Amino acid sequence: MKLDTLVKFQHMDRRWIFLGMGLAILLPMLFPVNLPFKVDERVQSLYDAVEEIPAGSTVFISADFDPASRPELEPFFRANLHHLLRKDVKFVSATLWPSAPPLVLPIFEELTAEYGKEYGKDWAFLGFKDGKELAIKAIGENIPETFPQDIKGNKVEDLEVMRGFKQAKDFAMIINVSAGFPGTREYVLQIQGQYDLSIASATTAVSGPDYIPFYKAGQLNGLSAGMPGSAQYEKLVFPDGPPDGVRLLATQSVNVLNVGHLFIIVLIVLGNVAFLVTRQAEEQA
Amino acid sequence: MRSTVPLVLTFLVGLFMVGEYFIPHWGYHVITQLLLEWGLILAAAAFLLGLFNLIQVNLPKVLNREEDWGYKLVMLISLAGTLVVGFWGNTGRLNPGEAYKWLFDFVFVPLNATMFALLAFYIASAAFRAFRARNLEATVLLVAAIIVMIARVPLGESLPLVGEKLPQFMNWIMDVPNIAARRAIFIGAALGAVSTGLRVILGIERSHLGAD
Repeated sequence: MKLDTLVKFQHMDRRWIFLGMGLAILLPMLFPVNLPFKVDERVQSLYDAVEEIPAGSTVFISADFDPASRPELEPFFRANLHHLLRKDVKFVSATLWPSAPPLVLPIFEELTAEYGKEYGKDWAFLGFKDGKELAIKAIGENIPETFPQDIKGNKVEDLEVMRGFKQAKDFAMIINVSAGFPGTREYVLQIQGQYDLSIASATTAVSGPDYIPFYKAGQLNGLSAGMPGSAQYEKLVFPDGPPDGVRLLATQSVNVLNVGHLFIIVLIVLGNVAFLVTRQAEEQA
Repeated sequence: MRSTVPLVLTFLVGLFMVGEYFIPHWGYHVITQLLLEWGLILAAAAFLLGLFNLIQVNLPKVLNREEDWGYKLVMLISLAGTLVVGFWGNTGRLNPGEAYKWLFDFVFVPLNATMFALLAFYIASAAFRAFRARNLEATVLLVAAIIVMIARVPLGESLPLVGEKLPQFMNWIMDVPNIAARRAIFIGAALGAVSTGLRVILGIERSHLGAD
């Protein structure tokens, strides 16, 4: 191959890369190859922690994500709700992200209706609270004071599901679906240590490595990172495949990740081969 | 006097909030709870301040037809429109069929998701151009990145010969060198935060008061 061609390849128009990436996303959607995958120890640990929650207990879900991180986190969010609801675990949810309420409320309503759960008695959504770390600190101290009203305008302390639950440590577990700041790191730093809370986290792939030290230190009892983590959790929740009407969003989407990752790796390898060959030729010249 | 009162207040409140970790008395918690509530109110007020700031910065540029005034006009109209339909919808604004919900589902969600989705294309392009084995450190980074990338997806596990070992090696990279580096960063940042906190409480650091 001519040296010129290799140099041109290294500086090729990025629109070719965009086209390749577009195809790498589109083709696996049209022709999926469902490769088998194993479950990571951290996701297994998260599943086991939820599995150990006794029926009738109540957990606190902090749904801290937005439409941008929805493809990575909604599959976990849905699978986790299925997991909790079929175990008869009640939940109270809130969010620290302003764009989360219109995103998560329809999912809560859809899935709780599917399992015949009643608002106020079996679950509640307290809505958004600004204040970031301060809001987390306040959730650790006093939830009805922090969220005087729920999303529907009801007084939080009057909700049946909140009876006997005043602060974060009263709940069987805190499940944080976190796309970044404020999220898992802030929960761990602000209230996990102080109240010795049981926290499980589902986060984006990019944040996952940041939280592994918390998991290893026992500050998180489980960690699901990105779409692969969500797919693994779906596999654990639905080992025999999804029931009618349920779509395993992450399991379907890992096909795209397979080809997308492969495309980037091939690009990097080819780019380096071209780089090394041209550098060697330049050194010899 | 103008700076002494805020400095004394910062000192007292800072010291009081630190004390909460060491004094588990209910009476103490009543006061820290009150201070937290004030903090939350201030955070909400900051939202309002941001709103006014946005208008204050952008409206004159629209009126004076400065560069990109059209974009700023779209932003201000969107801001006002969302505010109006949000208030109009009240607690029912998230119900299906409400204008606010419609705006969220059909304007905000596609825009927000599109912006994030574009990253896939730019990351591919940036990785192709930037990931070069120029020296030993860059080569180590490159090899580690490729192993983690391929092992994170089912394709890695399905590779012949190395498929079984690849996830184990990836986990080692994530659990040993990754954690070692991140813990070092965390501890360094935490010590920095403690020292900054102490500097603020003791009045050595005064930039938050608008002075050096």
